[in-house]
Amino acid sequence: MLVEDDEVDAMTVRRALKELHVGNPMVQAENGEEALSYLRQPGQVMPCIILLDLNMPVMGGIEFLQVAKHDAALKRIPVVVLTTSDEQQDKVASFDLGVAGYIRKPVDYKQFVEAVRAIDTYWTLSELSQ
Amino acid sequence: MLITDSSGRIVLANTPAEALFGYTRAELLALSVESLIPPRFRATHVTRRQDYTAHPGSRVMGSGVELYGLRKDGGEFAADVSLSPLEGGYVLATVHDITRRKRAEEALAEQSARLAAIVETAVDAIITIDERGTIDSFNPAAERLFGYGRDEVLGRNVSQLMPSPYREAHDGYLEHYLATGEKRIIGLGREVVAQRKDGSTFPIELAVSEMRVGSRRLFTGLVHDISLRKQTEERQARLIHELESANEELKNFAYVVSHDLKAPLRAIGSLADWISTDQSEKLDAEGKEHLRLLIQRTRRMDSLIDGILQYSRVGRVREAVVAVDVNEIVQEALAMLAPPPQIRVEVAPDLPTVRAERTRILQVFQNLLSNAIKYLDKPEGLIRVGCVDHDQEWEFSVSDNGQGIETRHFKRIFQLFQTLAPKDRVESTGVGLSLVKKIVEMYGGRVWIESQPGAGSTFFFTLPRSGTTQQEQRN
Repeated sequence: MLVEDDEVDAMTVRRALKELHVGNPMVQAENGEEALSYLRQPGQVMPCIILLDLNMPVMGGIEFLQVAKHDAALKRIPVVVLTTSDEQQDKVASFDLGVAGYIRKPVDYKQFVEAVRAIDTYWTLSELSQ
Repeated sequence: MLITDSSGRIVLANTPAEALFGYTRAELLALSVESLIPPRFRATHVTRRQDYTAHPGSRVMGSGVELYGLRKDGGEFAADVSLSPLEGGYVLATVHDITRRKRAEEALAEQSARLAAIVETAVDAIITIDERGTIDSFNPAAERLFGYGRDEVLGRNVSQLMPSPYREAHDGYLEHYLATGEKRIIGLGREVVAQRKDGSTFPIELAVSEMRVGSRRLFTGLVHDISLRKQTEERQARLIHELESANEELKNFAYVVSHDLKAPLRAIGSLADWISTDQSEKLDAEGKEHLRLLIQRTRRMDSLIDGILQYSRVGRVREAVVAVDVNEIVQEALAMLAPPPQIRVEVAPDLPTVRAERTRILQVFQNLLSNAIKYLDKPEGLIRVGCVDHDQEWEFSVSDNGQGIETRHFKRIFQLFQTLAPKDRVESTGVGLSLVKKIVEMYGGRVWIESQPGAGSTFFFTLPRSGTTQQEQRN
C-alpha cells in the first residue's frame, strides 16, 4: 500500500515497481484518513507493507502512525516512511511510533529506483508476522 | 549713647558715641543731632523729631525704621536707634552700628535670591509640601509640566497631581511614613505616574528629599518628565520584537520554501528521466542532450536546496553542546571525504577539545577540507590542519598548496551561493564557506583567509576558549 498525495511521486513508485518486476498489487491512498478507512473495511486483506509519505493534506503520516500503531489490527503491518523531510524531529517521531524504515525520496529517478529495490529486496527476505 | 534736648542739640555723649561718630566729646556737644545724619535724611528727621517731642514714647531697637549715621569723616553706617524720653524734653538715644548685621542680611538675601533663581529656572519641576501633604512651593517648571498656575495649587494637597489610585493613597503613605519612618519614595527616587490639570497622565521620575526648617518638616519633590525616554524605550522594545519575529519568519521561510520546492523538483527530474528513456527512439541527439542537461540542472537545484536547508538549520535546530575532540572530528571529516592518494594531509597532534554542537564543528572541517581537496591543482597536494592556542581563543587553520585565491575575492567567497569557478567545471553550490562563517560566528569566533594565487590558501577560524576547558583537552 502506498499512502501518498503527490501524483508524480506515486507514479514514480509504480514505475519503479514495474521496472523491478514486482508483481504485487498496490493500492494507493491520498492521505492518512483515506488509508485508515480502507484498512478498516470489514474483511479487508491487509497489505504486506505500507509506504508512507509524511506531508499530506487532511491527515499526515505522523498522525496516521499515531492511530495505526495503537490499533491492534494494524500495528504489525511494517511501515516504511518515504518522505522529503530530513528533519531530525520527523525521524525521531517516526521511529518512536515503530516504523520499520525511513527513506528520503531522492530527486534522481535512478536513485529512487534503487531505494525501492532495497525495500523490495529486504521485504522479500524478511518474515512477516502474518 | 546720646542725650539731646527738645531742640535736638546734643547735651551728653558717652565714649562709645565718640568712637562711633569720630568726634571728640567737646565737638559732639556743639552739634545738633541732625549733624550725625546724612544730609538727605535731615529734613525728614527734623519733622519726625518734632513729632516725637509732641508725642513722646519708647521706641525699641529694630522697630523697622532704616536709619543711617554720618561720621565726622563723611562715612555712613547703618544704624539701629532706640529712643527713650527723659524729663524736661530730653531724649536718650541709643545708637548701634548694624553694618555687619546688614551685610549678613544682605548676603543671606542674595543667597536666597540665588537659590530661588535656581528653583525658578530649573528644567525639572520642584515642589515642596509640608507634613500634611499641602503644597508649599511650586516652581515654573512644575507649572509648565502640570498645567496648573502656582496660585491654583499652593495650599492644596499634593495628591491632586497624581492619578487614582495613588491620589487616594497618598495621605496614607505620608501618615505611614511619619508614623513609622518606613521609606517608599523619600530618599530613594523611583518611576511613578503623574496627572496634569487636564487629566492626562505621564510617567515621571520622582526624587523626594526631606528637610527640617525650624520645627517644620518639609518634603521636596524633584519631578523629571520621562515621557520621551519611555516612548523611546517602548519603541525600542517594539522594534526588537519586530526584528525577532521577522528573523523567526525568515528562518521558517527558508525551511518551508526549500522543503516545498523539493516535491515539484523531484517530479521534474523523474518526468525528464522517463521522457528520455521512453521516448528515446523519437528523440534526436540534441533532444537527448537537452534532457541530460535538464536532469543535471535538477540535481544542481537539489543540492542548492539542500544547502539552504543546511544553512537555515544552523542556529534554528539546536543540538546538545558537548565536549568535542577536534582530533576525532578531523579524522571523521577526512574519512568521509576520502582524499585521493596524491594529496597528503598533515594533521597537527594534540588538537584541543572544544565545547560545541558536534555536527557543526564537523561541518566546519568537512567544508574547509573539502574545498582544499576540490581545488588542489598540484600533482603532489599537501593539506595541513593546525591550531594555535591563544589566551582567549583557539585559532584553527586549514592550509593547502592549491590554486589560491586573489585578495579581491576574499570577501565574496564567504557569501551564500558565491563561487569563483564556473559550476560546470567544479560542482559547487556556494554554500560551504558561508555555512562555515555562520557556524563560527554563531560561536563568537571569526573566520578569514590568507592566500597567494598559485601557491595556496590558508583558512583560519577562531573559537572562544570560554566553553572549552584545559581539563577536557587533557582527557
